[in-house]
Amino acid sequence: MSSLRADAAVAWQIARKDALSELRGRQAAGSTLFFAGLVLLLFGFALGPDSRRLTEASPGLLWLAIVFGSLLTVGRLHQLEAEDGALEELARYPVERYAIYLGKALAGVAALLVLGGVLLPLVAILYGIDLGSAWPALLVTLVLGAIGLAAVGTFYAGVTVRMQSREVMLPLLMLPIVAPLLLAAVKATSAALLGDPLGDLAAWLQLLGAFDVVMLVAGAATYGYLLEE
Amino acid sequence: MPQTTIYAAPRTREQTPPPAVATFELARLFGRSAALAGVSLQVQVGSTVALLGPNGAGKTTLLRILATSLRSSFGSAEVLGIDVNQRPDLVRGRVAYLSHANGLYEDLTAVENLRFAASMLGIEEPRRAAAAALGEIGLTADADRRVRGFSAGMRRRLALGRLMLGNPSVILLDEPHAALDSDGMALVDRLLIGWRDAGVTVLVASHQADRVTRLADGWARLDGGLLLETGGTGVSSIATQAIGLPAPVAGA
Repeated sequence: MSSLRADAAVAWQIARKDALSELRGRQAAGSTLFFAGLVLLLFGFALGPDSRRLTEASPGLLWLAIVFGSLLTVGRLHQLEAEDGALEELARYPVERYAIYLGKALAGVAALLVLGGVLLPLVAILYGIDLGSAWPALLVTLVLGAIGLAAVGTFYAGVTVRMQSREVMLPLLMLPIVAPLLLAAVKATSAALLGDPLGDLAAWLQLLGAFDVVMLVAGAATYGYLLEE
Repeated sequence: MPQTTIYAAPRTREQTPPPAVATFELARLFGRSAALAGVSLQVQVGSTVALLGPNGAGKTTLLRILATSLRSSFGSAEVLGIDVNQRPDLVRGRVAYLSHANGLYEDLTAVENLRFAASMLGIEEPRRAAAAALGEIGLTADADRRVRGFSAGMRRRLALGRLMLGNPSVILLDEPHAALDSDGMALVDRLLIGWRDAGVTVLVASHQADRVTRLADGWARLDGGLLLETGGTGVSSIATQAIGLPAPVAGA
């Protein structure tokens, strides 16, 4: 148990360090929020002024903006390590490899929750959606979606961090894997906004939860190999 | 393919107590070129050893393998009797390594960088350890400044401060004098003397050959990925027998 506690403390310290760096590098964090907001606005222009159409499409647009924003967020969290050889230093500490992965993923979850927390009200304002009593279900969907995106993104950011073409490779590797998450998150958001008329909200949330567990376990088990050279 | 004569160690690993560092036929290939081409070296516990040689000699590759940052392609390396490829987890807590890069976080302050390192090393009071290390390296006044605003010399000092955390048995230094002014170089000298007096084993690769050999017990000269000769005390090449490997490529 004490070993697990020590590993949890390591993960927490890594997440805290990443969060501090992210908060202080406001330009980078701000540009992600701006980019995701811009994606929402441009999708709105592309779909035209039909408010009913925008309302119907809003869950998909919200999650596409979050997924695009996640590419920048997880990539940047690993870029922090690559700036001055810090990743090699991190890999040399006498700590469990999975704890490093979980720490990076935890920082990703926190950053994506902030992103989602800003984008959700923005969608409501831009597309005229009444969030009303859907808040609790939307929050659960957002948390599960953020965990899944961070789990996948942390792993692939680790794969690409030493590549020269990492900005291109990260989306190419990550987007196909998060397709099931995107589908489940959009369906769950849609069900939550419509008051769950088909009673399938719980099923979509379960799918999201299962995706998260599989990806976290797979990432934790294999991330150590990415740190080796 | 061109062949070169490489020498392998006989199986004399069962020694008591084990040397601080022992490499056997150690080789590392990058693509088709060998950065290390079969180095068999032994460093005694508590010795300070200077690794000498021109750029591309294989000094950094040797240190990175010993620090568990890089896996060897052939041969083996042991630190305190532990194979670095088989049990890197056991080696990591016993070895501290200063690489070419400083491994610092730009948006954290000096004290936050050291506190983070201390917590990763499992030190119970990371705050106190970080403050003490900052005092040793003369950066107490800059403790709360972000590293992004530091000069190259201050960054190097801070990276040196990280070596003072924990209780490593073996310290590996790759160009510790790089970017340092005369005060900084004197700091490195003081640290080397302190570690030697404390019985810590130190391997230091440096282009400041005169400076480090003056403070070292012994030295080893590498070139083209091969161990050419050793001198002084605490370090020796191991009796070998010939094997064949692709020829080392200069500058690898």
